[in-house]
Amino acid sequence: MTGISIALGVFILVVMQGLGFGLQNGVKEQFADDAVNSIWVQSGRTQLSYRGNQANRRIQMRESDVEAMFNEMDTVYAYSRRIRIWGMQMESGDKAGNFPVRGVDPDHQMLENTKLSHGRYISQRDVDEATKVAVIGTTLVEEIYDGENPVGTHLTIGGVLFRVVGSFDDPANRWENKMAYLPFSTANKLFRAGNDKVDQIIIGTGDMPITATTALTDHLLTWFKERKSVHPDDQRGISLENNNEEYEKFQNIFLGIELFIWGIGLLTLLAGAVGVANILAIAVKERTKEIGVRKALGATSSSIVGLVVQESLTLMIVSGSLGLVVGVGLLEFVSPMIDHEYFKNPQVDFRIALLALGILALVGVLSGIGPALRAVSIRPVEALRDE
Amino acid sequence: MGSSGSGKSTLLNILGLLDGFDEGEYVLAGESMADLSERVAAKYRSRFLGFVFQSFNLIGFKTAMENVALPLYYQGVSRKERNVRAMEFLEKVGLTDWAEHLPNQLSGGQKQRVAIARALVGKPRVILADEPTGALDSKTSREVMTLLRDLNGEGITMVVVTHEHDIAELCDRIINLHDGQILTDTVNV
Repeated sequence: MTGISIALGVFILVVMQGLGFGLQNGVKEQFADDAVNSIWVQSGRTQLSYRGNQANRRIQMRESDVEAMFNEMDTVYAYSRRIRIWGMQMESGDKAGNFPVRGVDPDHQMLENTKLSHGRYISQRDVDEATKVAVIGTTLVEEIYDGENPVGTHLTIGGVLFRVVGSFDDPANRWENKMAYLPFSTANKLFRAGNDKVDQIIIGTGDMPITATTALTDHLLTWFKERKSVHPDDQRGISLENNNEEYEKFQNIFLGIELFIWGIGLLTLLAGAVGVANILAIAVKERTKEIGVRKALGATSSSIVGLVVQESLTLMIVSGSLGLVVGVGLLEFVSPMIDHEYFKNPQVDFRIALLALGILALVGVLSGIGPALRAVSIRPVEALRDE
Repeated sequence: MGSSGSGKSTLLNILGLLDGFDEGEYVLAGESMADLSERVAAKYRSRFLGFVFQSFNLIGFKTAMENVALPLYYQGVSRKERNVRAMEFLEKVGLTDWAEHLPNQLSGGQKQRVAIARALVGKPRVILADEPTGALDSKTSREVMTLLRDLNGEGITMVVVTHEHDIAELCDRIINLHDGQILTDTVNV
């Protein structure tokens, strides 16, 4: 019975660990998408009138703003301007469809964490020379190329012929997978008539500490509002989003999940240990006579302690290993069947498994000590007294 | 010998170093046994003393041979040597064929003979027997007493506690106890 409860404890620990790990993997992948080290600058319509400007005025960032913004920063680790065009007609061969387009700079790949499946991303040369190249998402590849490698083919976007140089798959972002990335300059020239409007700016913050990124965000926000004549209290005209704070928030959530899982597992183990101690106490009581006999036959106290502790240890290790094996087995069996957005690749770290066994052994010894000491204190006379 | 409550078992427990004593002196093999630590007592028990109990006190999940070998385990004898010597003493009590049996597969007389073999295996100087025949019928009682007498003849001191006269009559010296006092101490011829 105790063996079963210990096995169950370890089993639950292992499975919870695995599930927790899976959850963590899944959530991490979701947020790893673009929650890393970046500050996003967006413009919108103003809420408040300011300096003779009406409310509900559309704020437009321009390339001159980007240049000026760089002067406000000590270091620009990475950046990308962004142009968004919601729907463009795309054709290749006899297939066609309507898909969104983004004009970006090379750093965009790193900032948006885009994983290429074929070819290459937009390069600086593409931006400098405004080449007609495109990097397309996997949904596009499915719908226009039937899933075949599109690199090297030509794709008509809004009536202009582009060469496809790469494709990407971002499993956590279905929207992005419908997209074609073009060099910022090309998209600007062809689809924005060469005006200098910028829809969004992403700034990479590299290894800046969180406090520095927060200070930078605050500074840039104030600076932008001043420059674009937006009321200091306006929430919409210009907004900056600091992903570092988000990132840290998620890190804390992960830590919380992890602690929670460990807590449950350890408490289960503790329950198992109490069970063992209890069973051993009963066993010692039942074996009072035997222990008395052993003492009469010359057993020393240490050999009695050894006997009891050894028994508890064996019980713990054997049933613990059983739980471990069954738990790991279940995870291995179930793992390939699960593929959910927020749940990926449940598994147990080998070190955690070893640690669990170590804890079991320790707990085994500790829970054996109490009953063992009681066994030692048994006086042979009392033990052997006939009923 | 003596009636219930006369103190015979207490005396035996003191002799067997299973119980302490408050007054008087106990000298075993030339050494005082007063105020021994548990460790030292265990050492003396294992070296000088063998025990035989009324209720046999064999360990239920061990075979006859393993029961006999147990004292040797506590003396640190190797497993092979233990088994050889255990078999030797089982032969002495005539139970070679029962070596692999568990205690609950043996009769009362056989159990007591296993217990005697266990008491003997450590080569003790003294065997302390607490009502060795208390749980046996008169025929097996006689057999057990004969065995104990034979062993006595080999130079091992036997201390037998009993309240049965016919068992006491088989001993060389009879000490009568009553309420913890020695009433008579006679040599039985």
